[in-house]
Amino acid sequence: MTLQSYLQLTLAILKPDVVKSPFVLKEIRKLIIDNDFKIVRTRRTIIGDDEAQEFYKEHKNKFYFNRLLTFICSGPSDIYILTSRNAITKWRNLLGPTKVYQAQYSAPNSIRGKFGLSDTKNAVHGSDSVESANREIAILFKDFNIKKWYENDEVYFQSKKLIFDPHLFIHLIDKDLDMPKNYGVLN
Amino acid sequence: MFNVVRNLATNVNKRNAKEYLKKSKPKFSKNVRLKTMPIFKYPVSKGDCRVYVWGLQEHGALGTIKKVSFGEEGVAFIGTPHRLSFAEYHKILDITCGYGFTVYAVQSKDNKILYGSGINSDSQLGYHPLDEKLKIPIIKEPRPIYIPLKEKTTKVLGLAAGRAHLLILTDEGLFTLGNNGYGQCGRPIIGNENYVKSKVVHCIPNVEGAKITAVTAGQDHSILLTENGEVYTFGWGADGQTGLAHYHNQYKPELVKGDLVGQKIVKVSCTADCVLALSDNGKVFAWGNSEYGQIPTCKDNQQVNVATELKIYEKLGHIVDIAAGGSFCMVLNSSGIVYVWGFGILGLGPEAQRVTEPTSIPSILFGTNISDPNTSVAKIFCGISHLGALTADGQLYMWGRNKFGALGLGHRKDQFFPLKVSVGAKIKKVACGVDHTVSICKPFI
Repeated sequence: MTLQSYLQLTLAILKPDVVKSPFVLKEIRKLIIDNDFKIVRTRRTIIGDDEAQEFYKEHKNKFYFNRLLTFICSGPSDIYILTSRNAITKWRNLLGPTKVYQAQYSAPNSIRGKFGLSDTKNAVHGSDSVESANREIAILFKDFNIKKWYENDEVYFQSKKLIFDPHLFIHLIDKDLDMPKNYGVLN
Repeated sequence: MFNVVRNLATNVNKRNAKEYLKKSKPKFSKNVRLKTMPIFKYPVSKGDCRVYVWGLQEHGALGTIKKVSFGEEGVAFIGTPHRLSFAEYHKILDITCGYGFTVYAVQSKDNKILYGSGINSDSQLGYHPLDEKLKIPIIKEPRPIYIPLKEKTTKVLGLAAGRAHLLILTDEGLFTLGNNGYGQCGRPIIGNENYVKSKVVHCIPNVEGAKITAVTAGQDHSILLTENGEVYTFGWGADGQTGLAHYHNQYKPELVKGDLVGQKIVKVSCTADCVLALSDNGKVFAWGNSEYGQIPTCKDNQQVNVATELKIYEKLGHIVDIAAGGSFCMVLNSSGIVYVWGFGILGLGPEAQRVTEPTSIPSILFGTNISDPNTSVAKIFCGISHLGALTADGQLYMWGRNKFGALGLGHRKDQFFPLKVSVGAKIKKVACGVDHTVSICKPFI
């Protein structure tokens, strides 16, 4: 028997337009917490040109590739690894459609519908599948080992033995709390 | 013991109350009292200028307003136009709105000719010693923006604000503040430049010897109009929004390529990544983003990087005003008819999402009717997703997306056709931000 409800990891980027606006940043962070996401890693950085090229590899031949790249590298972004049950689809549902101008009809209350500025400056990014989440995490968090996280840390996130640091915006594992015996171990 | 003390205290209170009553009794007769009654003073402005603001308050872009409503999510916004008290103490000459910030040009004898409030993450509102104490880069009340001027008599000729940069045109030249990540401030791009509490102000005295007469800003690029009617651009060019026949970032102002050659341009409009330019003979030119059919003459190209004439002159006649939004364009012809095309809430009802050809909005929606046949639209404005039209007698009509009450209609629902905004003054100018709107008005009395 496998564990039915294991946690999924997804990569979220709050793009430079959001990081510049304290109000929008606060609102999106609130949404992350309210929707019961746990933040595994957090990082604020200006994404470099090489990283961005690698990250958006699949869009390389699209007409918008250049503007995607120049925008994402234009200022600091907040990058999070989020975890939750069904994290990938849950986060993408919160985001709304990629095209902000179209979101005004299809999903006006999504993050992009509310806070996106244009189709390029669409506020946030979310991985679209498990494979791309793994690929994207490997690019932007080079020292993060997904396999090890599932082996060592996932149980703590499952059992919610965590301390939330609102300043750093991260959930840290609270190892002092007692773990229930055999929790999360495969039978 | 405690009881005694309490009794004493109540007695003292009673006596004080009695004394107070005695004092407040009028010593004069009833007639005298009527004559000396104070006359209620209505808050009439001293000058002939008022500023009304509405939209999202959280950024601080609306200045000090106490009458704030809170939405379901606890977001502070102002749903209907409210008077800005700052404008009662200063004579406001010009306004502009960027993303979450507002800048006011003020008549002043000293060098404080500019004030601003809102997001200051990239020092787009300049540096002020008071900002050192701020934990988050939000300025809640309009405060002076210092620019290094030589003369005390220098005046502001034009203002424009983008996503995080500000252009100030004065007699002494153009001053740019804020984010220069794409070269939109007209100075060389410095990698990983720190913009927080930055004191950098860049000055462009003229472009190739010609005097700058007007400035316009897209989200991350800047457009200058010179005295010769030429258009120079710099900044982000990934969508071709600089019109320089390439898609790169450029910090040096350069003449726009394409159909503009030989034309005398009188106005340029841009809020996001699509640019419209109007020539003195009523022709309209466009370049930049065309993903939603904003430039109908270039159907196959979504990123037009040279100025292209929109062949609408034959059909719509002489165009007198233009406004380019995020996914749509709007023009006004000399008969006062408003035309829209593109994608979004265009004012043609909830069914019309995508309009490929310029389509007129019935003028009856702007108050033209049998009893009032002379009313017509005189100016048009737009933000990224909301639109506005001003009639010749100063009435404002707004429609489009109602982000955080940016339409000023008292609710937060999207508006699918033009609706009059109730402002208790004659509106002279409107500046639309992303989710807030500011207007300069003239009081009726």
